[in-house]
Amino acid sequence: MIADAATVIAPVKARRSAFERRKLVFPWILLAPTLFIIAAVVIYPMIYSVYVSFTPFNLLRPETFAFDASRMFRNYERLLEDDVFITAFFRTIIFMAVTVNLEYVIALGLSQLIARVTWGQGLIRTLLMIPMMFAPVLVGFQYAWFFNATVGLVNNALMSIGLMTTPKAWLVDIPTGIFSIGLASMWMNIPVTTIILLAGTLSLPSEVYEAAEVDGASAWQQFRKITMPLLQPFVLIALTVRSLDVGRAYDIVRIMTDGGPANRTEVVWTYVGEMAIQNSRFGLASAMSMVSVIVGILFTLYLFRQLMKSRVVQ
Amino acid sequence: MIRKLLLLVGLIAVLGISAVAAQDSEPGYAGLDQRFDGVTIRMATIGGAPYEAIYDTISQWEEASGATVEIVFLGDGFEIDRYLKTNYAAGTVDFDVAWNHTSFMTQYVDFVEPLQTYFSEEDLAQFSDAIIASATIDGNLQLIPRHADISGMHYRTDLFGNADLQAAFEAEYGYPLAPPTTIDQMYDMAEFFVAQDAVQYGTQFAGKEEALSGRYYELLVANGGNYFDDAFEPTFNSEAGLATAQWMRDLYANSLIPADTPNLLWPEVAQNFCDGNVAFYLEWYGWYSYFQDPNSCPAVAGNFGILRGPVGASGDIHTGWAGAHAFSVTRASENKEAAASLIKFLTSEAVQYMEAQLGVLPVRDDVWARIISDASASGVALDAERLQVAQEQIGSDFFTPPLFADWISFTNLWTPILQGVILGDASVEDGVAQGVDDARSLLDDLGYYE
Repeated sequence: MIADAATVIAPVKARRSAFERRKLVFPWILLAPTLFIIAAVVIYPMIYSVYVSFTPFNLLRPETFAFDASRMFRNYERLLEDDVFITAFFRTIIFMAVTVNLEYVIALGLSQLIARVTWGQGLIRTLLMIPMMFAPVLVGFQYAWFFNATVGLVNNALMSIGLMTTPKAWLVDIPTGIFSIGLASMWMNIPVTTIILLAGTLSLPSEVYEAAEVDGASAWQQFRKITMPLLQPFVLIALTVRSLDVGRAYDIVRIMTDGGPANRTEVVWTYVGEMAIQNSRFGLASAMSMVSVIVGILFTLYLFRQLMKSRVVQ
Repeated sequence: MIRKLLLLVGLIAVLGISAVAAQDSEPGYAGLDQRFDGVTIRMATIGGAPYEAIYDTISQWEEASGATVEIVFLGDGFEIDRYLKTNYAAGTVDFDVAWNHTSFMTQYVDFVEPLQTYFSEEDLAQFSDAIIASATIDGNLQLIPRHADISGMHYRTDLFGNADLQAAFEAEYGYPLAPPTTIDQMYDMAEFFVAQDAVQYGTQFAGKEEALSGRYYELLVANGGNYFDDAFEPTFNSEAGLATAQWMRDLYANSLIPADTPNLLWPEVAQNFCDGNVAFYLEWYGWYSYFQDPNSCPAVAGNFGILRGPVGASGDIHTGWAGAHAFSVTRASENKEAAASLIKFLTSEAVQYMEAQLGVLPVRDDVWARIISDASASGVALDAERLQVAQEQIGSDFFTPPLFADWISFTNLWTPILQGVILGDASVEDGVAQGVDDARSLLDDLGYYE
């Protein structure tokens, strides 16, 4: 007996669709533990933070956790009126722009010099990485001591060679306070940028340079017209990583000045920490975090778009 | 008449002998008269070398009571505060005895048990009245003090005893050079010592965190002002508040205090004095043995004295911002009677005497008598003198920060503004006005005016 084609195909289709379904579901089963963990440690806290940012939640007053629609934007309104937060926000951006760009220029120079070293390059790379091995907290303590007005290395050195007669309060004065922090941050992080740029430089094709030399291009022309364009993806990666790193500056600032004195060196995350941990004002601190995180995400998206563009151009 | 006189002399003699006998007797324990078999008391308290010695005595209480003590958390002052706040807020209190402090206690009011029902008047008779009064909120005793600290005027005896400096000072200021007893004198003398190049800085104070707003507070009170009125309306834009801020600003502007004052905390200012860079300043008694050690502080060891804090414009109020470490029983405790008994033991004369011998200032009169008597035999006059001054201060001048739960939040808000005033970022009037506005706004948010 010959079966009707339709009656044969139908169960096959059904079997296939069951198989297809399993094929679709199976990866999700494998992913489930990961998704569960992400939901528990990322998504839930994010939703929780968003909620808290719309409440006046104070850690010591459990009743303030309740949501009140009439006052839900109070924290965000407060931010707009808070001169310290606004100043800290823009100071963070300026601090990031200055520090990252200075780091970039110095690291670019160092990477180009090291790339031309033919003997002992490995040793130089290893020595260069030493600052990266220190915890930021330790670097903060070290530089706080360097710039200490009474017993600091800088004042004692300058006074002993006669360049100063009275001690200078480096960490108190404007703008030396934030510059001192920037210097500590740069000392620790220039090696990271240098290593990224050095790796990029060493990976560039030598044929392009050989052709340029044949065409009579000078070293400066080679650097401007070949090295810099080809290094762009590496530059953008280095800038992105470092910008996000400096943008969330907390540890070094906390140790060296704690954002003070008189909020003179306050950056966004030290201010958020002060609000949340010292003042127990989790609602206001969450609102500050939300604003900062959103700006951070937009900035990251912008940098990645630039990165993609540079890759397309190449 | 003669009989009455003889009777009086006899009575005085008997009282004197009793006092001497009491002094000669061994210090007594408390809290060892009840059994709590099978009970486990959990304790979250302050740790660190100076604090932990008395915890070794707990085994005596365990033996006498039949209970067991488990220390669930030890941390420094800020760590234990964070631990307690987190657990109180989250409702996860699983301990019976908690660390407390007169400067922090207002945060914990809703979470600790009023102790007047567990401690009789007799139990409290030996404790400093000023501290017990400060620790009582709305008639509820929040804590049992363990030891206290207050600031005395530490001054360099070589500078104040220098005949040339004395003559020059009197010629210029019209009154004799002696350790300052008023806030105005502090300024004059700081100015004088720096002008004479006798010392790098005339005076100093810690210039950050609660250390600054606390020091401002005691000067403000001595000047006749206060941070808040009874309704928590900020009042430090008063004449006293402005004068106090101006005093601090003038000291800084005229380089009479260290250039990095706003970055100094307790260890740094103590080190400045230890190094001989400062003529006089208000300092906690806890640094005494460090300053007297010629190996640590050769510039000041045996070369300084201590006086009561200065009087301000009020004319009769001395500086006296002070604090006392303490113990409380948590509301969540299921063994409150046993927890209170453990606190009785830890704050008893014998245990407190043992702790006072390590250098802290006691809060019990009977312990004061013992350590002053011990110090008198040391051969160093200041050993006993400083205890007498400290006892007088704790008995008469002791005052806590304003008693409201958001004191620390307030100081976090006010300190940077005051730093700005001192550094010249804002005028005294503008800075103080901003402090008052921000403080009111903070307390308004927290529902203080509803």
